[in-house]
Amino acid sequence: MLDQIRQQIDRVKGMGATYVDCRWYPFEEQNYLLMWNGNLKVTAASRESGMGIRVLYKGAWGFSASSDMGDIAAVFDKALDNARTAAERVTFPVRLAEKDILQASFTSPSRVNPFEVPLNEKVAFLKAMDDKLNQKGVFQRSADLSFMRKQIVFVDSEGSEIEKNITEVFSSLEVNGLDAQGMSHERKYKLNRQGDTRGWESINPALFGENAERIVRELNEMLAAEDCPKEDRSVILLPGIMYLQTHETIGHALELDRILGYELAYAGGSFVTLDDFGRLRYGSGKLTARADATLPNSPGSFGYDDDGVPAQDNVLIDKGILVGAITGRQMVEEANVKAKRQIFDGSGGANRATSFYRVPIERMTNINIDPGSDGSLDDIIANTERGIVMDGDRSWSIGSNREQFHFGTEIGWLVDDGKITKVVKNATYKGDTVKFWNSLSAVGDESTWQVQLVNNCGKGQPNQVMQLGHGIPVCRFDNTRIGE
Amino acid sequence: MKERILQTLRDLRAYALEKGYEISLFYHEEDSYLMRFANSAISLNTNEHLIRLDITAYSGRKRASFELITDLAKLDEMKRGIDTAAEMVEHAMPLTYQPTVAAYADSFADESGYDQALAQLSNAERLDYFNTVAGDLETDQLKLSGIFSSGTNVLAAITTRSEHTQYFKTSDAQVTAVLAHEAEKWEIIAEQSAYRKPDLEPAALNRELSFLLDRFQQDPRQQLPTGSYDIVFGPAAIADMVHFMNWIGFSGGSMKRGFSFVAEDKLGQKVFSDKVTLVDDPRLLDTYPFKRDFMGMERNPFAFFDQGVFKGFAWFQDDADEFGAQPSGHTVMHKSLHLHPGEVKAASLEELVRMPRQKDVLYIPFLHYMNIVNPSKGVITGSSRFGALLLKADGSVVVPFNVRLTQSLLDIFGDKVAWLSQDTVACNQSQSYGARNPVAYVVPRFMQVDGLEISHSNPSF
Repeated sequence: MLDQIRQQIDRVKGMGATYVDCRWYPFEEQNYLLMWNGNLKVTAASRESGMGIRVLYKGAWGFSASSDMGDIAAVFDKALDNARTAAERVTFPVRLAEKDILQASFTSPSRVNPFEVPLNEKVAFLKAMDDKLNQKGVFQRSADLSFMRKQIVFVDSEGSEIEKNITEVFSSLEVNGLDAQGMSHERKYKLNRQGDTRGWESINPALFGENAERIVRELNEMLAAEDCPKEDRSVILLPGIMYLQTHETIGHALELDRILGYELAYAGGSFVTLDDFGRLRYGSGKLTARADATLPNSPGSFGYDDDGVPAQDNVLIDKGILVGAITGRQMVEEANVKAKRQIFDGSGGANRATSFYRVPIERMTNINIDPGSDGSLDDIIANTERGIVMDGDRSWSIGSNREQFHFGTEIGWLVDDGKITKVVKNATYKGDTVKFWNSLSAVGDESTWQVQLVNNCGKGQPNQVMQLGHGIPVCRFDNTRIGE
Repeated sequence: MKERILQTLRDLRAYALEKGYEISLFYHEEDSYLMRFANSAISLNTNEHLIRLDITAYSGRKRASFELITDLAKLDEMKRGIDTAAEMVEHAMPLTYQPTVAAYADSFADESGYDQALAQLSNAERLDYFNTVAGDLETDQLKLSGIFSSGTNVLAAITTRSEHTQYFKTSDAQVTAVLAHEAEKWEIIAEQSAYRKPDLEPAALNRELSFLLDRFQQDPRQQLPTGSYDIVFGPAAIADMVHFMNWIGFSGGSMKRGFSFVAEDKLGQKVFSDKVTLVDDPRLLDTYPFKRDFMGMERNPFAFFDQGVFKGFAWFQDDADEFGAQPSGHTVMHKSLHLHPGEVKAASLEELVRMPRQKDVLYIPFLHYMNIVNPSKGVITGSSRFGALLLKADGSVVVPFNVRLTQSLLDIFGDKVAWLSQDTVACNQSQSYGARNPVAYVVPRFMQVDGLEISHSNPSF
């Protein structure tokens, strides 16, 4: 197959294409199991293979994909034909930043292949978790396991050939209960990064068991709690919601294609402009954020992106000042020209596609916040006069330019005079992005830092779902509106 | 092609029966085209032709499924998929209820929603359409974005319970055109949904954009104070709220799981304004309807709310099996929701703006990134986007910066509803995650709701 791909790339180049690449997926398989209230509702698996062809012709992209490997020349021809049409409406001809030509491979760290674990072992794990969750106060309970495994062979007309073998494991537990007024409340546990590898060995029954007991206990505390007050307080965000705050108001806001207007008709733009790089005070001096695709063992670390660019660790916000973005080969070139200055030194290696039948676009890698020097969670609480600790993602809604947001969390603990006083339910908060990050007044140390895994980041048209990570500490923000 | 698909399913059924398996097979074939525009250029021109086969195996109360992306020529691969599903089901755990396997009483085929001319649109036609939409509206600062998504969907099903098949074929198109001001960061939108080629009217989108453009360029801009407003929602906002109601309002499964703002004791009770009648109406071709569900049940108009009175839950087969309810013909990929029109004549935004009014009215055409804050209370939140206008009582117009609305659907569709327009629109709600599934709701072009709270107001675009 590789020889055929090389031949087709040469053929299409000979027909006038300035760049061609192929992502061939010999296989991609998935396995998903969901146990809901003791019922194994979903026992599903899938397998697919195919290739996606991207052609650059007179400054315009064409893409075509097929699962039919019987006539791959037709797929290349279709991609070229699509590019020729696109070339009839070009305003800024696509050009690609320089990159190293590589023959390379990457395998994500995994000890036990989850696809070789017998189904009945997976079911037994879910049943054990279901038993743990089946407690007083719990009205609905669920436990799930999700596995992905894929091989991607990337070949381009510049001479790069890269093979990637990626395994992903995700799992979560959830309980719901009804309070005295019949209102529903939820509490979840999602597997975060455990150790150096993420095969079946990530599924540690003891860890899940402890967390099952915790979320049931917290749900019951919440069911007896009062509503979150509607007032201004300091909010102390635990990793279960801090990851989402980072994801939505730093990650998506700093995707360079959004900044340049490529998502305007759908996901939206960004309040960030090209003039802001190196100048905008995005957050307080306690904020340093990075796109780190080199972080070991995370879905946001993939060796090489789908432009064939090696994974990198790039600072996005340095002590509060905006300095970088999430970038691929195309957008950095356009941004530098439009800004009339060199903002970006080459691609940030963040162009990825969700499958062989989708085109690569700028995606988050691991969008992390560096740990700070404000101590442990206990230290931060002790140093908070009037606040609320929040955890868990219940709802999220963000302005179209990521300029403002409203988050609903699963649980809140009011803090008064340095002590937790009581649990509250329906804990929500809202704010304006830049004002909020500039109110960052405490960043937890390494003891509070953990890598949350995300398996469902949506973006693009046609829509794509991507896996990534967020390494984040506990953070405190002052003067935030809660309870609305 | 149709006969080849159905014969393949019959061959696979025969294979399963020979092996002693109990299975259902669901075939999905899509031919998808998407031309994406950004910064006044075609930023991506893409197509996919994909065939998926979803195999569900049953063994007593156990169930397991295996899906593969395949090709009709790969019969052996599909048979191996059946073997895989059958092997998986042996290791599955029994459900606490008996899942129903469809047993089709007769073969059924529906191609009434298929228009060959729409399905076979060329690249050149898609580009011509967008060039007409753009007309002379683009400038150095005003950039065109959007999508032209079109395609063909074929669904077919068979089970080992019966030799009969189900077959559905539809064509669809979804167009979104956005004009955005690069420096000022405001955006206006016009959308169209089509199930046949004559539905595509690029000149109409150009007119809508031109009118909004005049407003955004000529009228003053303002940060609105937070507080209570009379709001007229446009079709995209209405359809999006109906979509969320579909999720947390009248799904029997959601209700039983405590994830609904409508309880069982509300059956026959008035829940919404008597101006609100919401029907699942598979007769409406512009909703890409299913006239039968995947269990083989004939689908007829099904009222969820009749003049505000709650008439019944939608029961998906698996939820009905679990909770001992009667399935309601809703085992489909999407419903054909129709929010009935009202009596006010307002067939365009121009007419709405010209309408005499006693008070200021906030027009919100689109709610961005809507989400559920509290499902039990039906509370949703979202921000205005794409061309909100404050229509002043004195007839003038102000362009407001975007605002956030956090409110219960019970209030939005409750007694605060002032009026609905006579004119309706098919509003395309399709997403392109996973398999193609065109869906549109028919909703009034406008709905005015009085006294809703704006909880947040942006200081700029």
